[in-house]
Amino acid sequence: MTAVQEKSAAAPSARPEVRRRRKRPTVGAVIVYIAAGALAVMWLLPLLWAVSTSLKSETEASLGQDIHWIPETWSLEGYRTLFERGDHLTWMINSTIVSTIVTVLTLVLCVLAAYGFSRFDFPGKNIVFGAIIAGLMVPGQALIIPLFDLVNSLKLAGTYWGLALPQVVAPVMVFILKRFFDAIPRDYEEAAKLDGAGHLRVLWNVILPLSGPIMAAVGIFTFIGSWNNFLWPLLVATDPSMMTLPVGLGVVSGGYGLFYAQNMAAAVLGALPLLIVFLIFQKQIVKGIAGVGLK
Amino acid sequence: MTVKTETPAAASAATKRPPAPTARKKRSWVGLWFVLPFTAFYALFLVWPTFLGLYYSFTDKSLTGRPASWVGLENWSEAFGDERAWSALWNTAEFTLYSTPPLVVLAIVLALLVNRARKLGWFLRMAFFAPFVVPVSVVTMIWIWIYQPDGGLLNHYLQLLGIQDAAAPTIWLQGESTAMWSVVLTTVWWTMGFNFLLYLAALQTIDPNVYEASSIDGASWWRQLWHITLPLLKRTTALVIVLQLIASLRIFDQMYLMTGGGPNRATEVAIHYIYIAGFEGYRIGYASALSYVLFVLILIVSIVQFRLFSRKED
Amino acid sequence: MRNHPSPPGSLSRRALLTGTAATAGLGLAGLSLAGCGSVTGGLDGRTRVKQWNLLAGGDGAVMTEMHDQFSAEHPDVELQATTFGWGTPFYTRLVMGASGGNASDIATIHLSRLKSVSPATLLDPIEIDELVDHGLDPSDFPAQVWDKCFVDDRLYAIPIDTHALVNYYNRTVCEQAGVLNPDGTLLETTGVEEYYDLLRAVQDVTGEYGTSLDTLGGWRQFWAWYRQADGEMTFGDDDFEMDDDKALQAIEIMYRMSEEGLCPRFADGGQCSANFETGAAGLVQVGNWEINRFKAFDEAQGFDFSMTEMPDFFGNRRTQGDCHSYVLPHHNSWDPDVRDATLTYAAWMLQHSFRWGEGGGHTPAYLPVTESAEYQALQPNAEYSGVVDNVQFDPDAWFSGSAARLFDETGSIFNQVYGLAMTPEEALALIKERIRSLLALPNPVD
Repeated sequence: MTAVQEKSAAAPSARPEVRRRRKRPTVGAVIVYIAAGALAVMWLLPLLWAVSTSLKSETEASLGQDIHWIPETWSLEGYRTLFERGDHLTWMINSTIVSTIVTVLTLVLCVLAAYGFSRFDFPGKNIVFGAIIAGLMVPGQALIIPLFDLVNSLKLAGTYWGLALPQVVAPVMVFILKRFFDAIPRDYEEAAKLDGAGHLRVLWNVILPLSGPIMAAVGIFTFIGSWNNFLWPLLVATDPSMMTLPVGLGVVSGGYGLFYAQNMAAAVLGALPLLIVFLIFQKQIVKGIAGVGLK
Repeated sequence: MTVKTETPAAASAATKRPPAPTARKKRSWVGLWFVLPFTAFYALFLVWPTFLGLYYSFTDKSLTGRPASWVGLENWSEAFGDERAWSALWNTAEFTLYSTPPLVVLAIVLALLVNRARKLGWFLRMAFFAPFVVPVSVVTMIWIWIYQPDGGLLNHYLQLLGIQDAAAPTIWLQGESTAMWSVVLTTVWWTMGFNFLLYLAALQTIDPNVYEASSIDGASWWRQLWHITLPLLKRTTALVIVLQLIASLRIFDQMYLMTGGGPNRATEVAIHYIYIAGFEGYRIGYASALSYVLFVLILIVSIVQFRLFSRKED
Repeated sequence: MRNHPSPPGSLSRRALLTGTAATAGLGLAGLSLAGCGSVTGGLDGRTRVKQWNLLAGGDGAVMTEMHDQFSAEHPDVELQATTFGWGTPFYTRLVMGASGGNASDIATIHLSRLKSVSPATLLDPIEIDELVDHGLDPSDFPAQVWDKCFVDDRLYAIPIDTHALVNYYNRTVCEQAGVLNPDGTLLETTGVEEYYDLLRAVQDVTGEYGTSLDTLGGWRQFWAWYRQADGEMTFGDDDFEMDDDKALQAIEIMYRMSEEGLCPRFADGGQCSANFETGAAGLVQVGNWEINRFKAFDEAQGFDFSMTEMPDFFGNRRTQGDCHSYVLPHHNSWDPDVRDATLTYAAWMLQHSFRWGEGGGHTPAYLPVTESAEYQALQPNAEYSGVVDNVQFDPDAWFSGSAARLFDETGSIFNQVYGLAMTPEEALALIKERIRSLLALPNPVD
């Protein structure tokens, strides 16, 4: 502290500036707030436009009409037609099922594997781990052709398993979890083992309670990734009754012409589930992303 | 330590509580049981298709299911001489070149703003990140409409601002010179939030004392930015660029939904051409060979990334 | 059994998967989601028939309406119809689905595409006896269309209609422009210049365009005009023949029309029809299937329009067209009830195809309907009934046909012509280059 005081005494001109910034907003700060606010609103415009259009009647929403943001007549017509068609709900359910299977399986498989790699030494371990780390570099998208054929010949095309299982393979999650487990001291486990707990019990009672945040991050990101996966479900969910939301919305035409209110109602409802997930888990998501950057 | 990837910075917990010595690990088969389920999935859905694809690339296997026969290197030599494949790769590179700078610069600028406008933090974070969780088909539905030449939102405002002549509306997604930029703009809007959060997190770890000291030295805000902040964001930027590079090589969804690769193949990217060759053209064998070319490219980028990062962490 | 080349060291993949699940010990079997279809629907004991179609235009609405009526009359059948994006997205989905035995029970395709979807491996043949059992007879269809439904002497398709590019005109606008006959029909023109004059007169009234066209569907217009001039296109194993002068002449029509502003430089299917509705264009040259859209617009806002055959550019009124038809995608196994319900559905749709003609503007393939007095008196269908004789089907090749690669790839070239980004000469050279590269590809179908 003394050093700072000495320095500031040597450069008195700088001092009032520092003080002013702390006490009341400077012009700079006001500009920052206005710029950030304006940009944020601009960034939200496409979404707001979708909401606005979805609340217009079809005639008001159609292309030739004047562009205005507040509907002249508020209408739920678009949403109603959407629900009458019923597809949307099916896709939402399918997305939920598929993303849940993927998330649960990913968590279970990756936690087991990460724990195995972190805590045990077994013959061939380095080879297996090396192979899985190599998988970090294998681009899934470049495998669509053989994978499609594989799922077809397993007779899994057009089933929930066919949609979900190939998405479960996530070496990066094993890697992340293993790094986290490695950092947990073994003392707790030793104590539990002295009490006669088996390996699974130790994992469940000791390790997992300490891994809440990382599990949440892995879970949420797996879920979002799977929910928004487009390419794979595009290939295997051939019938609309099996499609996930992104594919159904992208691939199935509205029946006739382009009905913008209905179209945007579908967009709004399509965006909603994950926006809600995001708002609820905002903290974990932000932390998760920060974790990627700071690892 | 049995695995070399361990680093002191591996996890924040590690720095607080050093791990117990590993001598306690016993060599037994138990660990295999933990590892087996994942490994089995991995073998079936990743390793096996990798070899299956390699095998198919030497056959004329067709999606129609008619009998396939061995064709040796025919697919491979066709792939290397296929102009459409090279132009798809070029389009992929073009997309990367166009999209990476705005995705980096905008993310930094917005993160700097939000970092200083902390009272609005929650709202700003939400606004910039929200598009990232929106499914791609919703994003494209909205943007296709925004780009409509007649009556679309973008042209409407350009005309209102007098930038565009109402008699000659810009044709965005169907114009050969504008289509790629349009997809880039949509992509920037959609995915910038992720990079933004990366930068924001990095900014928030910077010790405020660093600025304190320098502002006392009389450094201007601008100087601080250039000499303190940006250098501290170098690592994040490297990460963002590498992630972007890999994501770009795999780009498909937006093009498929917005332009279908058009107009005149101006936005046809690598994965899309593989899709076209394999599923629209039924040529599983040939598409497998094409996949392998892309596969190797992505592999090279990934390896470069790996080396880059392991060096940085040392 | 489908033929997969046996990969090296092929082990039973199913066994491996089962093993995996078992080893994981996750009790996955308890969820038993594998194999069963969607969680929604199909649980009430009705026979479910899945239908896929590509009718995203005005005719799609008519089909939906007919489906509602069919469902009302057949409470024991649960008809699930899905419309996919017209063209390649639809065909790709059909082929990908059928390759896994996972497509719909019945689908609509263009007859010109029958060979390109590999009927031998991806479709299931239909027995004539089966058709007769469901009330259809081969003699109910025009012979030239019926013959196209066979591949290797097996019946794979049931024709629904013939459809073609026609010319719609806004009577209010055209009257002001002075291009109507006293009886309210559009003046007949001969030659390109006369038609351009007509468009100029209409443009003076609209202030924007004379006519509107789907600039992304340029193949249709090209083929109509090229065929009007008797242009031929034939494909050999690695070469092809076409008439450069006639092709250039057809492409120049597009270029000049757009250059002079007589038509928009860009309009996709929706925009092209919207231009007609908003009065930006007094005519629209588009498929007869848009009739339903314009009728609906007429009911909503009042819109006096009619339609006629293509203008005569080179001595006749030939037009481009195709036939919609039903096919049965390949099933690993057919449930007899589903098969029966599927054919019942197909037969019902044909027998009720008067509505298809009235609402969709198509000319039904089912002769008992088209030969009926009621149908022959139908307006405005009668005004363009000549298209059935004037319709020109696409040239024969595995990459040709509605929404096939020739159609798509030339379509994006023609779009550049309308956009004035490419001269007719450049376009023709590029088209020939594209055809050459298509011919160089190995034929993946047989």
